[in-house]
Amino acid sequence: MPKHIVSGLKYLTAVELIREGLSQKEVAKILEIDRSTVSHYLNGRNLSWNSIEVAEIITKFCPKDFLTLTYALLNDSEKTRVIVKTCSKKSYKGSVEESCIGCGLCVDTCLLNAIVLDDLKARVDSDWCNGCNMCRDVCPTDSIKILEVNNGY
Amino acid sequence: MVTNTKEVKGKDICVQRVSPEEKRELAYKDDVCVGCGICAKICPTEAIELGEIGAIERTGVDESKISIDETKCVLCGMCSSPCPVDALDLKLDEKSIKDMAEYPKLIKSAEISDDLCIYCKACETACPRDAITIARILPERSKLVTGEIEIDKDTCISCGICEEMCPADAIEMEHHEPTSSDPTVSSDIKVDKEKCVYCLICRKSCPVDAIKAVCRSCSYGDYDLNPEDTETTGSSFIDEEACVNCGWCQEICPVDAAKVEKAFEGELTINQDKCEACGTCVDICPCNVLSFPEEEFGVQGDKLQADERFCIYCGACENACPVEAIDVKRTAVKHTPTKSKSWEKQLSELKTQT
Repeated sequence: MPKHIVSGLKYLTAVELIREGLSQKEVAKILEIDRSTVSHYLNGRNLSWNSIEVAEIITKFCPKDFLTLTYALLNDSEKTRVIVKTCSKKSYKGSVEESCIGCGLCVDTCLLNAIVLDDLKARVDSDWCNGCNMCRDVCPTDSIKILEVNNGY
Repeated sequence: MVTNTKEVKGKDICVQRVSPEEKRELAYKDDVCVGCGICAKICPTEAIELGEIGAIERTGVDESKISIDETKCVLCGMCSSPCPVDALDLKLDEKSIKDMAEYPKLIKSAEISDDLCIYCKACETACPRDAITIARILPERSKLVTGEIEIDKDTCISCGICEEMCPADAIEMEHHEPTSSDPTVSSDIKVDKEKCVYCLICRKSCPVDAIKAVCRSCSYGDYDLNPEDTETTGSSFIDEEACVNCGWCQEICPVDAAKVEKAFEGELTINQDKCEACGTCVDICPCNVLSFPEEEFGVQGDKLQADERFCIYCGACENACPVEAIDVKRTAVKHTPTKSKSWEKQLSELKTQT
């Protein structure tokens, strides 16, 4: 079953990436699947609708559950990043206060690699943040705020 | 979820956090630690606790001077930055934050100028941490005094008095036992001119005046001495791990060859009314600042005295004192600049609030 859910997630990601204008070849490369599989996905073949339904439900989980579940299913950082970021409809902006001590716990925690340290201060890359708030939860000085910037679709 | 691991080796502690992004490792060396407790003061997560350092020092109990709670430690490195003796070090992917420009570090140093040093070893003797090694190369004795010496072997009776008298061990004799074929006491007598200092003791003590010797310096003065031949050369070495920048070498050096820069400025006050002269502070002080001077010859006094010229204002004595008789104030903490407001603030809070 987990395999099928992963296929469902990849299907949703492939559809979205094609909609964003990527070629089938590019999508195949990003998701590390055959180009023919991408083609099958787009024609609605070789995939049960149940898998897609379950995957859709997962993408609508709260951001943290969506992210951690996807990471647990794929066990691959790069693909998790692409799938979660592509299927998340919301945008987030992280701000870090001066009280940040630069311990890097958020950097090590962020599954989307959206945080870096600049001169002993964390910086959140909004392009990658999916609002899971795990960085905020681990921050020893409560220095991180993650805000939703729009509701998208 | 990333979690810390702790490894304790003897009294040393190592806390680690490994993620796919990086490896953070905080290493604590107990033999270097002086028990100042600055790490515990600055730790933003209260993960470090200073032990009963007075008791640890005096009983020699098998216990680290500090303890680190790995469930609270976030491996930020703020403890290692102001450690006056570098007992704590945070490494990011094996690189010490003390070698990274973005991390502030204390401005402290100790150096001995080889150009000025006369290799007298005063600093080596005075250093309370045995951190200094002076390796010296002495001038050749034979180049400092010259002369002539000659022994008239026909007159010499091989008595050996000159050999016994020679303060430089420059005369050596090889005695032959008298035999029926050669019934005389004879010997080979040799003078090692590398060792001879032309003191003329041999000549003066010879009972038969068989030795002719003259010292050129006595006759003509030192005019033919090459000044370079009289110089002691060498090299100096300061063990940075052991050095606490106390300033003993600087104060004791007769030629101002040692220069010490201290990271902290401050003030040390002793409350003589409270002091019970237990001496724990004297034992814990890494800089030999504190002492009980003799009141009269051979009698140990009981009035604690501090020489602040050697104090680094670490505060270990204050921590160790069981009756709170010592007060150490820090008025300045000198460190390299940092762009981090929180680090700046925490470092500045090491100054005693007034």
